Amino acid sequence: MKEIKHRKTGFVAVALPVLLGLYLMLFGLTSRGECAEKAASFLCLADYTGPVAAISVPLVKGETDYFKEVNARGGINGIKINFINIDTRYNVARAVSAYRRYRKGHKVLVADFHSTPFGKALGRDTKRDKIFGLYPGDGEVQGKDLPGFNWGTTYQDSFAACLDWIIKDWKEKGTGGRPKVGYLSWDSAYGRESLRGGKEYADTLPLTLLKPEFFPVGSLDHTVYLQRLAKNGANYIFIGGVDPTPTNIMKDAYRMRITKNIQFINNSFWGPTKSVGVRMHPEKVNNVVRASFFIVGEEAEKHPAHKLWLKHRPNEPISDLTGAYYIGVALAKDFEAGLKVALKNVSYEDLDGEVLADAYKQLTGSPHREGLTGACAFSPTNHRGSMEVKFYRIENGKINRISDWVKVPDAVSMHKWD
Amino acid sequence: MWRPCGVFDETYSSDMSIVRTKFHWICLIVSLLFVMIFPLFDNYYLLSLFNKMAIMTIVAMGLQILSGMCGQISFGQAAFMSVGAYTSCILTNIGLSFWIVMPIAGIVSGLIGLLGGTSALRVKGFYLAIATLALHFVIIWLTMHLEITGSTEGLHMDPPTFFGILIDTEPQKFYVIISVLALMTYGARNLVRTRVGRVFVAIRDNDLAAQVMGINLFYYKLLAFFIACFYAGIGGSLWVLWLNLAHPDQFGLMDNVYYLGMIIIGGLGSIPGVFFGVVFIVLLDEILMLVAPPLSTLFPSLGMEVSANLSLSIFGIAIVLFLIYEPRGLYRTWNVIKNSLRVYPFTY
Repeated sequence: MKEIKHRKTGFVAVALPVLLGLYLMLFGLTSRGECAEKAASFLCLADYTGPVAAISVPLVKGETDYFKEVNARGGINGIKINFINIDTRYNVARAVSAYRRYRKGHKVLVADFHSTPFGKALGRDTKRDKIFGLYPGDGEVQGKDLPGFNWGTTYQDSFAACLDWIIKDWKEKGTGGRPKVGYLSWDSAYGRESLRGGKEYADTLPLTLLKPEFFPVGSLDHTVYLQRLAKNGANYIFIGGVDPTPTNIMKDAYRMRITKNIQFINNSFWGPTKSVGVRMHPEKVNNVVRASFFIVGEEAEKHPAHKLWLKHRPNEPISDLTGAYYIGVALAKDFEAGLKVALKNVSYEDLDGEVLADAYKQLTGSPHREGLTGACAFSPTNHRGSMEVKFYRIENGKINRISDWVKVPDAVSMHKWD
Repeated sequence: MWRPCGVFDETYSSDMSIVRTKFHWICLIVSLLFVMIFPLFDNYYLLSLFNKMAIMTIVAMGLQILSGMCGQISFGQAAFMSVGAYTSCILTNIGLSFWIVMPIAGIVSGLIGLLGGTSALRVKGFYLAIATLALHFVIIWLTMHLEITGSTEGLHMDPPTFFGILIDTEPQKFYVIISVLALMTYGARNLVRTRVGRVFVAIRDNDLAAQVMGINLFYYKLLAFFIACFYAGIGGSLWVLWLNLAHPDQFGLMDNVYYLGMIIIGGLGSIPGVFFGVVFIVLLDEILMLVAPPLSTLFPSLGMEVSANLSLSIFGIAIVLFLIYEPRGLYRTWNVIKNSLRVYPFTY
């Protein structure tokens, strides 16, 4: 009898949470309530616990804080913003599931994909549901004219801007000949994206692009790849991946004592960051140059928008504010500005992602991003959030700006998109 | 084994039947009605969730045959699934019908799986697990680097047609996936009762003893790998039907761990246990994913990272507690409860 009782208790212990969860899923209590008031939703499929968490976490913080501000002001024309953020763990099946959970009944207008494959897997869904996607830096969005927008500049455009910087730097150094440029990044769609158009752009410049090196996401040792690039005479090496990856590469390069002879440069925005590489290993990441479409380092801490951080995050030191936080703020500002434009043309009832996408296209040159990123470049023919980057150099544990906004070349259009 | 008191097999056919009692028949009819009516409710999310669970059940069922029944631990099921997925994309893109391609995808996956099977003759246990893990990385590396598999971009597959009807909506996919699941379950359930199934169990319990009895270990281990990978291939094919896309990021190392977790939690060696394991793991994961955002809203001091990590922690703790208190799986718990309720209020 005891055995049976024990089993029954076990069954109840398992069944109750499952039933509760099912109830929550079926009746939508987990969706923060179906508000009686007018609301428009911004769905964010982020990654808090996977390989791109270093971007997702601060970025979502920025979006959260800014949307809180907007809602506190009464919303946009009385419409509150429902910010739904889900941890997908960089897993496509989870992202698909989350998207399909929220696509209807919440007036979702935008899906912010923190991973390229999410957008690919959900392309048909978003098109049918009239929801448009936001993508990190994949030039494919522009190249294939997909229904969506990039957060800022594309990886390939930024890569091209870095190549221009290399040529300039090489000339300033007064060294003769052509500089040899290496490329080292994740073996993934993201890692290869910079070269789709970037390689074509490199071919037009007086430099030699060495055979690119790729390593699996999560690799901790990069010695072999660095050794090969150094052996081939690289003067500059691009380092990709999301922090801690660029920091780990620099640790290896420092150990190999090649940081003195080779200039390391990052075109794809995500490191070494202030909160990881610069703080933990300042001497190893010293002298790395970063191109960024959003402000970082000391400049980010001094921007007036940092008050948003101070207001909403009293327990988190300002030194934890990384540039990705401002991407979140900028994307939230885009949503606000776009919604304002859209509501001039249609009523709340007629509002959908297509209408909002059209509104985004009218934001060309709009100052709403307030210098957090380069000038807003959305237009009927441009899916890119910005066409400008700034250059920074890591020096003695600080990320110092070394250029003003620089217009990036259009490398995307140089690639032959299938 | 878990037959109700008073239910006997009086004929050969009743001994061989899968659906034995009136209650079984009622359950079957209710299930069929549910399957037919469910898509009419037009709950896109739940349909999508069911489709995902059904595909995972097929893949996990293959692993159950290999690991649960035959005792060969494999960490390559997700990679074999990817073989099926890519095969389907490649062959349908050159013009073959998806309905012909699906079994071919299973066979191709099964043949690739034989590579894993060959190592099973020399190594077993953890060593075999590592060998299949290596195979996982090789297959995924190839999908990321071969042009035919679309490199890191992956491959798209257009929705197939069935007698002129485009299978593009979630309910349509649901009918296809559920039908294939039913077929695969029938096959797996029968396999357990055949000579092959009994040989698998003999190999699992003691492969040396099985060999002494005259069982050809090499052949049967290879067969187990082939069947498991065939199931994974069919699962992969259905996966691209569901998502219209095969991408290397969809078949990660963690998926292998999840599939193993599913069969352990459901009950090793039991086909119905696979359903319990998949439902438990997928629903727990889904619930935690959906509960985390409101949790961080209700308790802002937690912050979203904490609530997201909390969901992972709860998931881990639930599995650990489960293994401590019910190591023989949910299917056994189900049977114990069923039997105790059947004889209620008597103990036995």
